[in-house]
Amino acid sequence: MTVQPAAPTLAEGVRVALIARLTAMGDDELLLGHRDSEWTGHGPLLEEDIALANLAQDEIGHAVLWYGLRQALDGSVPDDLAFRRDPEDFRSCLLVELPRGDWAFTMLRQFLFDCYEAEALPRLARSSYAPLAEAAAKALREELFHLRHAGLWVQRLGLGTEESRSRAVAALERLWPELGGLLTPLPGDLLLAAERALPDWDTLTAATVGRARQALAAASLDPGHDPEVPEASGREVASPHRVELLATMQSVARSDPEAVAW
Amino acid sequence: MRWEVFKQDAPGKPHQAVGSVHGFDAEHALLNARHVFGRRPSAVSVWVVPADKVFSRTAEELAGFDDGSARAGGPAAEGGGQRLFHVFRKASHRRSMTFADHVLDVEAAGHDAALAGALARLEGEPAVAWWVVAADDVARSDPAEARSWFEPARDKTYKQQSAYGTVSPRRERAARP
Repeated sequence: MTVQPAAPTLAEGVRVALIARLTAMGDDELLLGHRDSEWTGHGPLLEEDIALANLAQDEIGHAVLWYGLRQALDGSVPDDLAFRRDPEDFRSCLLVELPRGDWAFTMLRQFLFDCYEAEALPRLARSSYAPLAEAAAKALREELFHLRHAGLWVQRLGLGTEESRSRAVAALERLWPELGGLLTPLPGDLLLAAERALPDWDTLTAATVGRARQALAAASLDPGHDPEVPEASGREVASPHRVELLATMQSVARSDPEAVAW
Repeated sequence: MRWEVFKQDAPGKPHQAVGSVHGFDAEHALLNARHVFGRRPSAVSVWVVPADKVFSRTAEELAGFDDGSARAGGPAAEGGGQRLFHVFRKASHRRSMTFADHVLDVEAAGHDAALAGALARLEGEPAVAWWVVAADDVARSDPAEARSWFEPARDKTYKQQSAYGTVSPRRERAARP
């Protein structure tokens, strides 16, 4: 994983809040990427196998971007953050941690996450914190294609066969409330928004939910009322799914702590 | 359903037949084409055409029928009226990675007439095979989305299969203990 140049000097409170936000963003991408990678060899079509491997690589690449920005702030090493950190110290949300489920579940999850990124990244690209703005602009390029891919599947699952539709409905029922967890602000986000390092989170939340609703409606899928955005994010709690995912993902690195390459 | 994929590597270069993908409709085939072919090497545009809508003739087929009967035919019964066709030519068997290149567009009443028109205009040019597709059977990537579809691939490393070389029978024998 790459080393980033030194960060601009920041007030201590801003620095700490930024580290927390970057950690949550990196952890979300890393775990989603890992869940996508679980389809390798199991895709419904050869081409979708390749597509999911591409998506996984892209999401993990974005995690490297966010961890790299954190490294510039506190010197933490991205490989250590990914492979040698305990589940309690991760700050991912439940939406990305849930097991991959069936194809409809994977596509609906990817779609909801992509809706969030399609709204978040253009706003982050205008961040007053220049390294974050640059990284967001880079990630946005790939994200628009992700949304095309996931959106295509959501529409065909929703309007396809009776079975595809019932699977899409079941997946949405489980995933929609978890969108609230993804969108919950962290305690330091208000300070970051005041510094214009982060966008206004309420506006971002409304835009994400609105975008998702519109595309779901075109697939004749109705998620019901808006997801509840809880007071506290719940990211401090290590869910059993997070524990299970990390046990697999970190097993090689942890089997030989002295190793410098695998 | 199988779709033939045509990829353009850079502006000004011809679209080339690079292989095929599965897809349940044109948009799905187009996205799959980008996933499978968009990064080795990078692209600026992809087209997909249903495989059964490609009219193809080899040089042998054309030579075997002096009366031109091998030229007759097309993917479907075609109504009257002129349509636009894209004509692709595979120029040689020299290398395994020699593709059929988009060489010209022809207005004609059908696939076979489009090929006849192309042959008349490209008299004497080397060719081992011809492909003809109707322009309105082609689904194309949107130039407005090209940045998102193709630019990220430029930063990603890859190897062509030719980088690994081939094992000849002689080498295989020599390696035997």
